[in-house]
Amino acid sequence: MVTREDVENIALLSKLFVPEEELDGLTQSMQEIIDFADAINNAPAGNEGFDNINNLSNVFREDEVVPSYSNEDILKNAPEQAEDHFLVRNKE
Amino acid sequence: MGTIAKIHDMLTSKECSCTELTQGYLDAIEKANGELNAYVKVTGEEALATAAAVDKKIAAGEDIGLLEGVPMTLKDNMSTKGIETTCCSKILTGYKPIFDATVWETLKGQNAVLLGKTNMDEFAMGSSCENSCFGGAANPVNTDHVAGGSSGGVASAVGGNIAPYGLGSDTGGSIRQPASFCGVVGLKPTYGAVSRYGLIAYASSLDQIGPITKSVEDASIVFDAIAHSDKRDSTCVGNSGVTTYDKLNNDIKGMKIGIAHEYLDGVRDDVKEAILSAAEVYKSLGAEIVYFDLPILKFALPVYYIIACAEASSNLGRYDGIRYGYKAAHYTGTHDMICRTRSEGFGEEVKRRILLGTYVLSAGYYDAYYKKAQNLRGTIVSAFNKAFEQCDVIMAPTVPMTAFEKGRAVSDPIETYLTDICTVPVNIAGLPGVSVPCGFNQKGMPIGMQLIGKSFDEATILNAAHQYQKAAPEKFTNTKWGVQL
Amino acid sequence: MKYELVSGFETHIELATKTKIFCGCTTQFGGDPNTHCCPVCIGLPGTLPVLNREVVRFAIKAGLAVHGQIAEIAKMDRKNYCYPDLSKAYQISQLYAPLIIGGYVELSSGKKIRLHHIHIEEDAGKLIHRHGDTYVDYNRGGVPLIEIVSEPDIRSIDEAREYVERLQQVMRYIGISDCKMQEGSMRCDVNISVRPEGSEEFGTRTEIKNMNSITNITKAMEYEYDRQVDLIESGGKVVQETLRYDDVTGTTSSMRSKEDAHDYRYFRDPDLVTINVPREEVEELRAEMPELPADKCRRYIDDCGIPEKDAQLLTKYRRISEYFDEACDGVKSPKTVSNFIIGQMFRRTETESDKEVFDIATTPAQLNELVKLLDSGKIRNNLAKSTLEKMLDTGKGVLEFISESDMGGVDEGALLELCKNAVESNRKAVEDFLSGKEKAIKALVGNVMKNSRGKADAMAAEAKIKELIENS
Repeated sequence: MVTREDVENIALLSKLFVPEEELDGLTQSMQEIIDFADAINNAPAGNEGFDNINNLSNVFREDEVVPSYSNEDILKNAPEQAEDHFLVRNKE
Repeated sequence: MGTIAKIHDMLTSKECSCTELTQGYLDAIEKANGELNAYVKVTGEEALATAAAVDKKIAAGEDIGLLEGVPMTLKDNMSTKGIETTCCSKILTGYKPIFDATVWETLKGQNAVLLGKTNMDEFAMGSSCENSCFGGAANPVNTDHVAGGSSGGVASAVGGNIAPYGLGSDTGGSIRQPASFCGVVGLKPTYGAVSRYGLIAYASSLDQIGPITKSVEDASIVFDAIAHSDKRDSTCVGNSGVTTYDKLNNDIKGMKIGIAHEYLDGVRDDVKEAILSAAEVYKSLGAEIVYFDLPILKFALPVYYIIACAEASSNLGRYDGIRYGYKAAHYTGTHDMICRTRSEGFGEEVKRRILLGTYVLSAGYYDAYYKKAQNLRGTIVSAFNKAFEQCDVIMAPTVPMTAFEKGRAVSDPIETYLTDICTVPVNIAGLPGVSVPCGFNQKGMPIGMQLIGKSFDEATILNAAHQYQKAAPEKFTNTKWGVQL
Repeated sequence: MKYELVSGFETHIELATKTKIFCGCTTQFGGDPNTHCCPVCIGLPGTLPVLNREVVRFAIKAGLAVHGQIAEIAKMDRKNYCYPDLSKAYQISQLYAPLIIGGYVELSSGKKIRLHHIHIEEDAGKLIHRHGDTYVDYNRGGVPLIEIVSEPDIRSIDEAREYVERLQQVMRYIGISDCKMQEGSMRCDVNISVRPEGSEEFGTRTEIKNMNSITNITKAMEYEYDRQVDLIESGGKVVQETLRYDDVTGTTSSMRSKEDAHDYRYFRDPDLVTINVPREEVEELRAEMPELPADKCRRYIDDCGIPEKDAQLLTKYRRISEYFDEACDGVKSPKTVSNFIIGQMFRRTETESDKEVFDIATTPAQLNELVKLLDSGKIRNNLAKSTLEKMLDTGKGVLEFISESDMGGVDEGALLELCKNAVESNRKAVEDFLSGKEKAIKALVGNVMKNSRGKADAMAAEAKIKELIENS
C-alpha cells in the first residue's frame, strides 16, 4: 500500500513539492505503478545474481594530473555566481 | 534516398558542393520543421563552417571519409560544446556544455556536419516524444501521428529527409521504437559498445547511443564509426576491432533466426502478420526459423521500470539550480530554492519516475523492488544466453503496434509503458537490437521488425537486416518531406 | 551508579594521491575557488567517473597497516543525498562491498580496537555561508577519502585519544595521507553512548559529526558523556541523533532539521565496474610497506635497549625513526643516539609539526660519526655534547670542530697532575666535601674537565680526586 505519508516522504527525499491538492491523485497513481511493479513478486527467485552487464572489472585511470578547467568555464552556466563561487542567495 | 553512401558519392564526384548540400538541408529544415517539430535547435552557422572546410579539402583534391561532409543531427541529450543542450527539459534551459560528448567529438573529428539538435521526450522518458518541453515531433509518414520516443526528433528528421542520419539514445527502446514508427532503421548497440560520456543520463546501466538512418548500410557505417572504447567511460569497451560494414553481404544461408512466442503475445494482428511474412522472406534467403519460449520476458517490463526509475532518481538529483540550467525565481532559503527549481523545471512524467525510483530504493522497499529486479535482471540475461544456444538472431516486433495518434500517449502512463514491452528486454540484457521497416498497416503507417543479437554481435544482426532490405526494398519508403536526392 | 562510556569512530582521511578519485584534477589543498575543477567533479550532466588506481592502492596499504583483510571483490555504491556541496546529489562511496574488511588498531595497553571495515569514497566541496547566502567551491569535491569505521570498542576518552593518534601515526608512516586535522585531511565522527558499569547492553548512541582536532574530540566526548549520564539519571532517555560540537560554547547540539530526511538509498553505481584486486598486487603492496611504528617501537625496546617511553618518542613520526635508524648504523650504543635525538635535537624541534618534518641541519651520517667517536673512547661525552651543538648550528661535520689532537683520552700521569692541580687550587671545595657536601666533588671534576678541554674521563677523575682527598 502506498500511503499519503509515503508519497510525502519520497517527495521530500526527491526534493520535489507535491501540492496538497495533488497528493491524493499522486498517491493513487503511484499505487497503480507499484501494483504494476509488484508483478515481479510472481517471478521465479533467480539465483544468477547481477553485477554489471559485461562483467567488467578493474577499469582504472592512472594518477596523472590533467589540467583543470578555468574558473570562468566552470562557472559559465551558473545561474548565479559571485567572487569565483557558485552562489545561492538566501532569498531571491 | 539520401543515404550516406549516396551523399558521399555526390560530394566526391562534385555533383554538388558540401555547402550547397548543407544549405539544401538547412532550407528544408526551415520549411518542414514547423510541422515536423523534429529540430529544437538548428546550428546553421556551425554547419556551413564545417561544410566550407570540407569543400576546401575536396577542392584541394584530398580524399574525404565516408561521413565527412555528410549532414547529420544529434538528439538533444548529447553534450555539444557551446551549443545549448537541454534534454528538452525546462530545467536545462540555456545550458551550454563546456565539453563534447565522445560520440560528437568522434564525428566532429571526421567533419560531420551538425545541422542541429533534435527533439525528444524530456530526459528520454517517454514513448511518443510528447513529453518534450518543446512539444512533440510529428511522424513524417502522417503528421497526425506521433514520431515515437524518446528519440522522436531524430526519427522524424531522418524519415522526413531533413537529416540523412542522426544519433539517438536507447534506454528501453528509444531508438528502435521511433525508428519503427517513422519507417526508418534504428540500431541500439550492445551496452558498452559506444561511449556514454557526454550523454545526459537517464538510466546509466541501460542507456546506449546508436544511429537512426535511412538504410541498414548507413546504420552499419555510423556504428563502425562510433563503436570505440573510451577512457572516460569505464563501462565502454568498444567493438574490439570487429567491424560490421564488411560483413553486410555475408551469405545468411543456414542462419538460425529464433522467434520467441512471448514476443508475439498481445501484438496487434497487422504487426504480427508483417513479422511472420518477414520470416518467410528469411526462409526464402535460406535462413532457418526456430520457435522457442522465453517465459521470463513477461517480467521484463516491471524489471525495466524499477531499474530505470531507480537510476533516474539518482541521476536527476543534480538538477538543483546551482551549477547550470533553470533556477526558480522565487524562494526562501536553499532547500526551498532546490525544491522549487525541480518542481517547476521537471515535467510530470519525469517527476513521476523520480518519485517511483526514490520509492523503490528507499528503506524498507529496496529488497522487495530494486534488489529483486536486479536478481531478475540476472535471470533474464541467462535466459537470453540460453536462447542464443538455439539461434543466431532473435526476431521480434519492435513495437506491438504502429504509431499512435497525437495526444493518445499522455493519458495513461501504464498503457504507454506497455508499448515498450518488446524493446526493453534487449536493454535489460545489454544486447544489440536493430529495428528495420517490414511493412505497413492499412493506414499506411510503418511497422518495424526487431533483430536481436548476441552481445557485441552487431555484425550478424546488421548482416541479416541488410539482406532483408535487399530482398524487400519496397518496405523502405520515402516521404514527401525534405531533401529528395 | 557509575556509567561506562562506549564509543566507536568513523574516521575520514584524505588520501595524498596527486589527482582526485574520479578525474584528473589536482588534489592540492587550497587554490583559488573553483580552479581545481572539471566537468566530472562539478557533476555536469553526461560526465562519468573513472576510478584512480592509486586510490585503491593507497586504501589497500591502509588496510594492511591496520591488519585488515583485502576484499576479493569490492564495488562502488551511490549514497544519495541532496546538498549544495555535493555536485551530483550523490556521493560515490562503498556500502555493500567495501575494499577492506576488519582489522584493528592496537593501543599501548595492548588492547585492540577492532575495525568494522575501511571504504573509499569522494569528498564533497566546501560551502561558505555569508549573510545567509551560500558560496560554493568544488575544489575539494572529488578528493579521495578512506573512511575507517571502528567497532564500538572504545571505553574511555584516553583510549579515544590514543586511537586517533595511532591511526594518524600509522597512516602518515605509510605515506597515504598527511592526516592534518586542522586542514581537514583527517576528520572524525564520534559515536558515543553510556551504560551502567557491568551492563552488557549498549545504550542509545548519538553521533558527533566532523570533529577536526583531538582537543575538540576529547572535550566533546566529555561533554556528551556527562550530558547522557545526567539525562539518564534524571529519568530521561537519550535520543539517537546526529550532533554538532560547538568549540566556542563547548556544547553539542542537534543537527536535525525537517529538511533532511535521512535515507541514503544506497545502490550500486552503474557507471563503475567491479574492483577485483589480484592477490599478487596485494602481496606487492605488502612488500612495499615500511616497518610500522608498533613494530619499530618493539624492536627499539627489545633489540636496542631503548626505554619504552623513548621508543615511543622515536617512533611517533616516521622521519625521526628513520633518522634514528640511519644514525644507529654500526654504533655500539643506540641508546646514545636516542639520547642525542631526544635531548639536543628535540630542543630544536619544539612543536609537533617541527618534529614531524624533523628538519635538522645535522645529517644522520654526521651524528653517526660523532657517536662512533664516543663509542671508541676517542672523545668524552661532554665534548660530544658541545660539539653536537656546534654541528646543529652549522650543519658541519664533527671533524670541523674536533681535531686529531683533541682525540684520545688523558693518560694516567696527566690525569693525576690535573687532579692534584684541582685539589690544590680549590681548597674551599675540598673542605666542603670533607664536611659532608658530596656535591662539592663536582666542582673539582669540572675543573679537571675544563683544563683537559673535555678529554678527561669524568668518572676516572672523580675517583682519583676522592683518593687524593682521602689520602691527604
